[in-house]
Amino acid sequence: MSDFLYPFLEGVGPDVPALLADLATSAEHKAAVSNRLRSETLEREAELLATIADAMAARFRAGGRLFTFGNGGSSTDAASVAVLFASPPSGDALPARCLADDTAVLSALGNDVGFELVFSRQLIAHARAGDIALGLSTSGGSRNLLTAFQEARQRDILTIGLAGYDGGEMARSGDVDHCLVVRSDSVHRIQETQGALAVALWSAVHERLAAAEATRA
Amino acid sequence: MSATDGLGGDLAIAAFALARRFSAGATMWCVGPVWTEHARHVAVEFVHPVIMGKRALPALTVDSADPVAALRPMAASGDVLVLVGDGATPGARDLLRRAATWGLTTVWCGAGERPPGGSADHVLWAHGGTAARHDGTVVRLYHLLWELTHVCFEHAAVLTPDDRAGEVCVTCSDEGRPGEVLSVDDEGMAAVRTSSGVERVDTTIVSPVGTGDLVLIHAGTAIAVLDEP
Repeated sequence: MSDFLYPFLEGVGPDVPALLADLATSAEHKAAVSNRLRSETLEREAELLATIADAMAARFRAGGRLFTFGNGGSSTDAASVAVLFASPPSGDALPARCLADDTAVLSALGNDVGFELVFSRQLIAHARAGDIALGLSTSGGSRNLLTAFQEARQRDILTIGLAGYDGGEMARSGDVDHCLVVRSDSVHRIQETQGALAVALWSAVHERLAAAEATRA
Repeated sequence: MSATDGLGGDLAIAAFALARRFSAGATMWCVGPVWTEHARHVAVEFVHPVIMGKRALPALTVDSADPVAALRPMAASGDVLVLVGDGATPGARDLLRRAATWGLTTVWCGAGERPPGGSADHVLWAHGGTAARHDGTVVRLYHLLWELTHVCFEHAAVLTPDDRAGEVCVTCSDEGRPGEVLSVDDEGMAAVRTSSGVERVDTTIVSPVGTGDLVLIHAGTAIAVLDEP
């Protein structure tokens, strides 16, 4: 019977179909946990999301640009946020750039001045008053993000954090204007919900920009 | 309804395959011709696990405008190709078909309109709207793939030798196997790359063939040239 259902499993042993069934169940369970965390977080952070969207929209209208950053998987999620704003699936493109994209720049700074400064140094080089700095972390404690926020704060750059766990140092830092927290201790589940938060934010920003356009017209 | 119907089942089957491939020494090549950030995310998940104590596995992103050309000298039979992108990803189907020809196990992770069946050994597809690329839906797909793969490492069945190559009768019993033409001489004899390595194949009945063409091989003879996917 198992040969018919799983023809590719010749010779692997009688308990493999049971393993596959367990894995499938596990995947469904984890996906459900992820979905629940996403809805809970979007609901709990709805007001903060609106506040952040107001602030970001105002900055974009005034010519501000978005710089995103993060480490590891969060660096790719930061890249995703930049692409979402700069090459959106719908609506106008907004100026956005991920500071983790350029490996030559990252490795040069990391090698020469230390990894703690890889994002702050880029903000010093590129960012100006009126811009937006958005950092993604699961721990909320990455030093190079905290340093970047510190630098941004001194330059009238709006600072937004996305963190996990209890928000870590990012949630407590006076350098972070607004911090969205995904209350989970699973790095994977945190990252997944941070994606949903980013899309909700993007959507809300565009609503506000469209409304502002409408009132001007 | 089988326990492995649906996405959960697809993930389970793919994870088991990946665990076996990795146990046999495979390298995972991560490609995202458009969704580059996802290819990088997959690679970093496998090569530097977020969970302490989990095995670091050889995973590399292929960041090239021509992933086929970039992979050709590096990818080996038995390796894994993970492509992340929607159904309309340019060059996807040719890349996946060539990778399969070279003997790679292919995985396509994506969302939106599903690609045609058989486009990859494992098609892991999520439901999602226009923002599925960004809203965590696709990330969750390969997070689950990673998680399940690591569960498989704990299962002894993963360690049984893989007989994908199998015993095959050299005259009539082998079915058509795909191969990629590396070079052809004036007499129509070609060096062709297949999942078992480089073979000498007689291409006279399908002549002319050129470097890069995909042919169907049966008993040392090219019996057809494969069209554009």
